[in-house]
Amino acid sequence: MRWLTRNFLAALLLFCAGVTLAAEVIPSLPAKYFNDYAGVASTATANNLNRTLEDFERATSSQILVVIYPTMPSDSSIEDYTVRVAQSWRVGQKGKDNGAVLFIFSQAHKMFLQVGYGLEGALPDALCKRIIADEIAPRFKAGDFDGGLTAGVNAILAATKGEYKGTGQTVAAASRQDAGDHSSIVPFVIMVVVFILIFSVSRRCGTLYRGNGTSSVLGGWISSGGSSGGNWGGGGSSGGDSGFSGGGGSFGGGGAGGSW
Amino acid sequence: MKKFIIGGGVLLVITIIVVIIVVIAGGSSYNHLVSLSQETDKQWAQVQNVYQRRADLVPNLVATVSGAANFEKSTLTEIADARASVGKVTVNTSSAPTDPAQLAAFDKAQGQLGTALSRLLVVSENYPQLRATDSFRDLQAQLEGTENRISVERERFNQVVQSYNTAVKSFPTVFFAGMMGFQPKPYFAAAPDAQSAPKVNFDFNHNSPGGATAPAQP
Repeated sequence: MRWLTRNFLAALLLFCAGVTLAAEVIPSLPAKYFNDYAGVASTATANNLNRTLEDFERATSSQILVVIYPTMPSDSSIEDYTVRVAQSWRVGQKGKDNGAVLFIFSQAHKMFLQVGYGLEGALPDALCKRIIADEIAPRFKAGDFDGGLTAGVNAILAATKGEYKGTGQTVAAASRQDAGDHSSIVPFVIMVVVFILIFSVSRRCGTLYRGNGTSSVLGGWISSGGSSGGNWGGGGSSGGDSGFSGGGGSFGGGGAGGSW
Repeated sequence: MKKFIIGGGVLLVITIIVVIIVVIAGGSSYNHLVSLSQETDKQWAQVQNVYQRRADLVPNLVATVSGAANFEKSTLTEIADARASVGKVTVNTSSAPTDPAQLAAFDKAQGQLGTALSRLLVVSENYPQLRATDSFRDLQAQLEGTENRISVERERFNQVVQSYNTAVKSFPTVFFAGMMGFQPKPYFAAAPDAQSAPKVNFDFNHNSPGGATAPAQP
């Protein structure tokens, strides 16, 4: 029994290690709607835009995020990297995919507006390009970050305003966590019961049925059940009463980028 | 004798339990494979969507560009040829391909169109008055966005195919998968030239293998 438990734990550990190794280094989910990690915007503008974007989610359910980093922590191209980041943050509502993230890398003088599947109609690539090239980049070039960010956010909100109806609250405020899919637990429970049965029977019969063959088959099976259960675990995300929480949206590489 | 009867009873119980385990394992891995296989089909549809989106851009792009004074005709011909050969490749639209050669043919035709389009963007550098127009800028943004979408959906396709293939080949499913008709599916190859910047090559005189000159209708 102890051998089995150890085997199971080892498999679980291996699985977790594999996940951490395989995952790309992606910045953690921003706490707010407007996030200036490079310190280019004034506090007043930052607070103002954060409030505007939070109200926008209440009114329309669309999640629009602005994140400003000094540098891009990746060797990939900006469009490749930012779509992975936006996808991993799950910005936008599940099923609507109505998220958009404006990424700005201040030292590289580069930006990219990633648009979720559900906003591609309201924010086609050509419009994203216009917003970046006409509204944001000229002001950034002149050193007016507050003006560029405000104009850019306003243009994005104007384009996406009529697309979806909001619920009056944000994902973070709702913060209801799905209880999870219990159907995936049922086969596992059956396995455990069967296992206990076998164990008790084999124990009563002495050493005859304690062979390694049965144990390793079961061990492998249980650990594979455990690992596939882990795949289902990544659904909910909790948040405080205020602040940002991703709703489960998806991104497909729509949007446009630019530099200044 | 009594010991033998108890032993036989235990054997019977164990056999029944093993049969139950096999049935449950077979059933659950079958369901698992079905959902993974459907996932690859769904993603394959998504891949085709984004490629179709690019093909649909071509007539518009050609119209805009050929409006510019004496634009390189050979570049436009190349695009028309590539677009036509994309239309000729027949693939199963409803489910992910199981034949590597079929996927390779699809990929090759699409790759030629991609190369021709990126060459057009490079050649357009020589036409500043064309690049200055709003319609060209819009088209360029659409084209770039479409290329991004293609790379995203290809990557995701490879990911879902990978988890499907892993499930097909892993224990204990590997014993059932073949019997139940689940074969491993091919991946998109990472095109070596797709990673690097397009090479500027002004040798436009060679004939493309497709041979067709009429632009295909989407």
